[in-house]
Amino acid sequence: MKTRVLVFVLLALLAGVLSVSAQARTPIYVYTDSDTNISDWWTNTIIPAFEAEYPQYEVILTIVRGVGSGNADIAARALAALETGDDPQVDYFEQINVESVPAWLENDLFVEITPENVPNIANVLEATNRIPQEIPYRGSQVLLAYNSEFVAEDEVPTTYAELIEWIKAHPGQFVYNRPDRGGSGAAMVTRAIFEVTGRDPSKFVPGTPDPELVAQFPKAWELLGSIHESIYEKGAYPAGNTPVLELFANGSVNMITAWSDQALQAINRGLLPESTRLTQLQDLPFTGGYANSAIPTNAANLEGALALANFVLTPEIQRTVVEEIGGFPGVNWELLPAELQEQFTSVITDTVPVWPGGEYSAIMVEGWYNNVATNIDRNS
Amino acid sequence: MTTLARTSTRQRQWRGAILAYLLVAPPLLLMVLLIFIPATQSIARTLTISVDGQPGFSFSRYAAFFSDPISVNNLLFTFQVTLLTLAVIFIVCFPLSLYLRFSTGRIASAVQILALFPLFVPGIILCYALIRFLGTRGTLDTLLSLVGITGYRTPYLKPEAIVIGLVWESIPFTVLVLTAGLRQVSDTLIESARDVGAGDWTIFRRIILPLIVRPALIVFSLNFLGIFGSYTIPYLLGPAAPQMMGVFMQQTFGQYRRPDDAETQAVITFLICAFVGFLYVRTVASQRLTREEE
Repeated sequence: MKTRVLVFVLLALLAGVLSVSAQARTPIYVYTDSDTNISDWWTNTIIPAFEAEYPQYEVILTIVRGVGSGNADIAARALAALETGDDPQVDYFEQINVESVPAWLENDLFVEITPENVPNIANVLEATNRIPQEIPYRGSQVLLAYNSEFVAEDEVPTTYAELIEWIKAHPGQFVYNRPDRGGSGAAMVTRAIFEVTGRDPSKFVPGTPDPELVAQFPKAWELLGSIHESIYEKGAYPAGNTPVLELFANGSVNMITAWSDQALQAINRGLLPESTRLTQLQDLPFTGGYANSAIPTNAANLEGALALANFVLTPEIQRTVVEEIGGFPGVNWELLPAELQEQFTSVITDTVPVWPGGEYSAIMVEGWYNNVATNIDRNS
Repeated sequence: MTTLARTSTRQRQWRGAILAYLLVAPPLLLMVLLIFIPATQSIARTLTISVDGQPGFSFSRYAAFFSDPISVNNLLFTFQVTLLTLAVIFIVCFPLSLYLRFSTGRIASAVQILALFPLFVPGIILCYALIRFLGTRGTLDTLLSLVGITGYRTPYLKPEAIVIGLVWESIPFTVLVLTAGLRQVSDTLIESARDVGAGDWTIFRRIILPLIVRPALIVFSLNFLGIFGSYTIPYLLGPAAPQMMGVFMQQTFGQYRRPDDAETQAVITFLICAFVGFLYVRTVASQRLTREEE
């Protein structure tokens, strides 16, 4: 009986000591609303690596995916706390669009990131087009995936014009999905629009569409219409990114447009043929985008948050962006291991065009359905 | 004494009537609030246009719909797919129901279970299963090439795939209604016909066929309603163009961002379905009337 009490007291003491030592580590509250693959990657890779390097910090990851508006709600809370001077209880947003609510930037809710407070931000790619409050640390881009068993090395298209030629020369072997049903198909269509408007995505500014640009869209329909009969099954467009990957996986087609992360993950899981190769157009790449982290100015543990920001931009973590989540690094590829660069040499690009979306997308999608997917002439 | 009895009877009648109305009230209210009022509002909206800020009456939205070749083509396509699907449903389900009505035994009950199986499979799962089964290098393609048949053309992303998917989905309901209808044909009726020397064909044509018209009409109208407005199967298995009305409406509303046009398409679809719904209601009502007469 006595020994039991003794053991119990000792255990209680031990627990007390442990909790005190745990408290000695300052918490960094991280919020994410990204998909499972991202939150898993944080839990299993980033956080253990960071805590090993910075034992004084403890990262507490809260997943708000699917809860209200996710991180936007947490940012709204941080803004309210900023006004009252309270603790926002958030130190780091894994991913947030800092421009989505004008009040955030107007009230300086987010820290401006400079090489002074986050040294590694200097390595971030120009192509990310970041504004000072953004920490672009992972990206993904639409690529061409092809089966090297059936597509010879020397006939792999390097420009959009060559891609169109290849599709015409190999009827039934290429497919992309309907532009409103997944970004990989949309990229094929928006790239046609970029092609006929002078390959300058910077002309496309979010907001009200420029009528002069829209007037040139019919040229893109003509271009895509010219390959309609050469698409899989004489113009059968699947309803999503995944059905396209499936057609590629079972050998129905030998070339597709695909999201880099979806394609890389499928390759890693053995879902795509081993002879799958990825490549990017050299004249102007397909569209893509970056996920940006941000740090609230009123973060209780600002120092820790800045250290974390710097840490996710180290080559060590940026490598895992490619290897574990199939994303693209936010930093210069040259900082990554040589063999990784070698492996991805054909997809590395320093331009990532962005499609403005919104009203532009409505016009793009409707134009495609009415002019490319069907052979009915609306004006006849 | 008699007056007392009369009042209590009247009270009972009263109570019964109130209870009946109370029971009917919730679904009736739901119908009025969630279907009739919004539908009437929709129809009214599609018929008004704003002229200098003043609402005016106009058929212009309908004129626009029917003068647009793509819209008209989608509507015709929906009719084609619906009627073709219905035809196939009858070809498949009618013999199946006859078999289930007149045979007993283990095989029959196994067939019965199989025929009802699609009832328990969600549409989206069915779509992905069919893609795997019917697609290029899918199960069917592989099996055919095993026996030496090559040159298989997949129906996936073509109108045929929509028909296959919709037929598969409609089998259980159709078989249920048709077998129920066939069970009303009594064995004695058939036996006595046989006794007077009628052959199978005569029995089928003179007895079964006339008695099955009503269940067949019910099956036709209810399936028509489901198929005409279907979304998941045409969206996942069908071509990008032409589109069935369900997909077209969603597209116009969500992607082209033109709620007005989507509403017009919805009203047109609604009116067509309402007409078929009317056929159904008339069939059921006439059945009731004949029963009461009996």
